[in-house]
Amino acid sequence: MTPRPSRLPALSLPAVPLAILIGVVLGGLLVLVSGGNPLDAYWRILVGSLAPANWPDTLNWAVPLVGMTIAAAIPLRGGMVNLGGDGQLAIGGFVAAVLPVMLPQILPEAIALPGPVLAALAILAAMLASGLYAALAALGEVRFGIPMLISSLLLSYPAIGVTSYFVGFPLRDTTTGLSQTAMIPEGARLMTISGPLNIGLLMIVAVAALVLYVDRRTVGGYELRMRGLNPRFTAYGGVKPGPQMLRTLFASGAIAGLVGAIIVLGSLYRFQDGALLSPGYTWSGLMAALLAGGEPLGAITAGLFFAALQTGGFAMQRETEIPRVLTMILQAIIILFLAMRHGVGRRG
Amino acid sequence: MQMVELETAGIVKRFGTLVANDGIDLSVARGEVHAVMGENGAGKSTLMSILYGMQAPDEGSILLRGQEVRFRSAVDAIDHGMGMVHQAFKLFNSLTVWENVVYGREPRRGPALDRRAAIAQVGALAERFRLSVDPTARVGDLSVGVRQRVEILKALYRDARILILDEPTAVLTPQERDGLFDVIRTLKADQRTILFVTHKLHEVMAITDSVTVLRQGRVTERMATRDTTPAEIIRAMTGRVVNLTVDRKPATPGAAVLDVQGLTVGTGAKPVVDKLSFRLHAGEIVGIAGVAGNGQTELIEALTGLRRPDGGRVTLSGRDVTEADVEAHRAAGLAYVPEDRAVTGTARAASAADNLLMGYQRKAPFTEGLRLNAKAVAEHARRLIGRFGVKIADETVLVGTLSGGNLQKVVIARELTHQAPLLIAEQPTRGVDVGAIEFIHAELVAERDRGRAILLVSAELSEILALSDRILVMYEGRILADLPAGAADEDRLGLLMAGRTGQAA
Ligand SMILES: Nc1ncnc2c1ncn2[C@@H]1O[C@H](COP(=O)(O)OP(=O)(O)OP(=O)(O)O)[C@@H](O)[C@H]1O
Ligand SMILES: [Mg+2]
Repeated sequence: MTPRPSRLPALSLPAVPLAILIGVVLGGLLVLVSGGNPLDAYWRILVGSLAPANWPDTLNWAVPLVGMTIAAAIPLRGGMVNLGGDGQLAIGGFVAAVLPVMLPQILPEAIALPGPVLAALAILAAMLASGLYAALAALGEVRFGIPMLISSLLLSYPAIGVTSYFVGFPLRDTTTGLSQTAMIPEGARLMTISGPLNIGLLMIVAVAALVLYVDRRTVGGYELRMRGLNPRFTAYGGVKPGPQMLRTLFASGAIAGLVGAIIVLGSLYRFQDGALLSPGYTWSGLMAALLAGGEPLGAITAGLFFAALQTGGFAMQRETEIPRVLTMILQAIIILFLAMRHGVGRRG
Repeated sequence: MQMVELETAGIVKRFGTLVANDGIDLSVARGEVHAVMGENGAGKSTLMSILYGMQAPDEGSILLRGQEVRFRSAVDAIDHGMGMVHQAFKLFNSLTVWENVVYGREPRRGPALDRRAAIAQVGALAERFRLSVDPTARVGDLSVGVRQRVEILKALYRDARILILDEPTAVLTPQERDGLFDVIRTLKADQRTILFVTHKLHEVMAITDSVTVLRQGRVTERMATRDTTPAEIIRAMTGRVVNLTVDRKPATPGAAVLDVQGLTVGTGAKPVVDKLSFRLHAGEIVGIAGVAGNGQTELIEALTGLRRPDGGRVTLSGRDVTEADVEAHRAAGLAYVPEDRAVTGTARAASAADNLLMGYQRKAPFTEGLRLNAKAVAEHARRLIGRFGVKIADETVLVGTLSGGNLQKVVIARELTHQAPLLIAEQPTRGVDVGAIEFIHAELVAERDRGRAILLVSAELSEILALSDRILVMYEGRILADLPAGAADEDRLGLLMAGRTGQAA
């Protein structure tokens, strides 16, 4: 009857395939009951996500999802939770959409920035804005004692609302009937690699590598890991809790901002109201990060898995009668089962 | 001949290549208090957790009143009349005493919990065994000693015939310990059997009937307490003679390292720490004696930066650190052995290397720019493990698996190696074996002789007397007396700690 640990510990490996198996069996039963053919459904999911021809689609979906996984995993590694991913995503996307359009208008004629420079500036500005906005949530806890779980979530809504207002009114592209900004000049868009894939993929790969390196090899990574294991220990050891929280949330928010910028500069080419949030990258990413207890490599792996599952779901929906919610149910069952394994059987 | 209540035959427990219990035969008579002794890591807690059904032995059997039993879980062991009070209590702090005690076995009236009956039963039980506790008090509000009584009540409520106490006195004040001994005597009179794990020889001599000594997982000696001596027990535990007195030359204090002026913690007419002033010099050990709860904890929190004082001034190595946080204190020259190694002093799910790095991570040679030098970190850990004799397979092992005393050595090793001008040591030898106490005491004296200022807080008066050059007695947030070591003895300190200056002078 020890009180349960509030955090999920890192996963032991055999639990994962088992949870997936159970999810697949239960999901299959569900398909069967509703009159579909489970084998066919799973085959479509597999082909739709993993057949070489579909890799670009899967990867394209994985870029934002894994990006948001990393954004969630960083604070989680230190025992903190950033629930404001949606707001930070919106701010990043908004800044990245507005800057390449507005900056050339503001700057004098003589300084004509080349497209790639404009894109780089847009990305950096997006990361800075989202990072600072996330740090604001940390400040809420450090300065005013509002738990970050609450402050980060609450700050999300004004960010979504304000960006929505701007694209709806002052910054709306009046040539279309929709709530969206003007198109970004062609030169400032992200270079494509193949199909829907653009160099945003490389940026996320670089971020993932950097985060893994920081986690394992640097002082900051060590201090964050230790805080995740025992915050009293790090405070006693002389790590300033407040600044550490601010730094961590800044990094987390900056990555969410980067994801917003990549989506805008790489696929949408403009900020459309709600378009960044409707796929639910933030929450899938948070789930993936939670599953791995914030451990970055595990989180990234889980994020990739969810991306493949969801992409496969789209393919299945196209090819069969079965709606893609099945994959979301599958995802939920897997998460539930893994979480359960950590909770039960702990009396002693 | 007394009845044998509990017996084990050839208990073996392995953790990987480590053999924690190596063929243990134990025989405990009904109604006796049986001490289990041994160095840190000898396998005492492992054996106790096997007897309580929390771990299954790899080999061997347990016989309860002559019948072989095989516990599948702690619940199963409880059903067989076993009870255990762990080193770390397992209570719900937000619930009341009676709720904790009856948890899982609530008296019922129909489908509903019978609250009145529960309170009455718990109250009656407490009275019968002279465990004075208020059944309706919230556990979180209780002192450590009282919480321990709640744990004992919990076991008795489940009708434990055999009670296992794993280092029950480590966290108690001398007064609370005497209370516990009274309870143990009452239980004994009721023909209950008690297994008592401790490192304190005087407790063994005072309360137990027989002793089983473990060494490296094996039984080395079985003795009747009245036929043995502390020296014999130590020899059985360590295989050598341990020097129980501390050799030290008179101190040669230098400049003031810590200067505390009018320090106040808390507000109102009676602050917890009340305008307290003292100086601590390089090359001296100053001990703080006092009954727990007289402001020692708050004083140390204020001196280490874990809490901001409400008044006064603290200067450390010439720097004003009154309002500074822990980091600034450490930068100004503080090393600190905290009272609670598991809650504050370590991260149990981290490796020994990670635990031993804390506080050094931003210093050469451990950092190169922002990068950690993994090789230097591992070497540092191996050096400390070797020097302080921590029993661990290697530095990558998680410290959560270490025995209590070995965990304490990890903290001591890390903080002593800082070579900071000021060392604050709270209960530095809590839970460590006699050999390690000898070693830690010698290290503290050596640090003093190297010119460090050491502030020692200990619930053990013998430790304060053995180490201190000067003793400050704290009472109700103030320093009641500042005695040179020569002028202090247990009786005088005892009176002062009770606030009686008149008789002590
Ligand atoms: N779960 C575990 N995994 C690995 N090793 C363990 C585990 N539990 C105990 N050990 C090891 O077994 C040995 C015996 O540990 P145990 O806790 O029984 O010692 P102890 O006699 O109670 O020591 P102490 O006096 O310090 O409390 C130690 O070396 C410890 O590190
Ligand atoms: Mg032990």
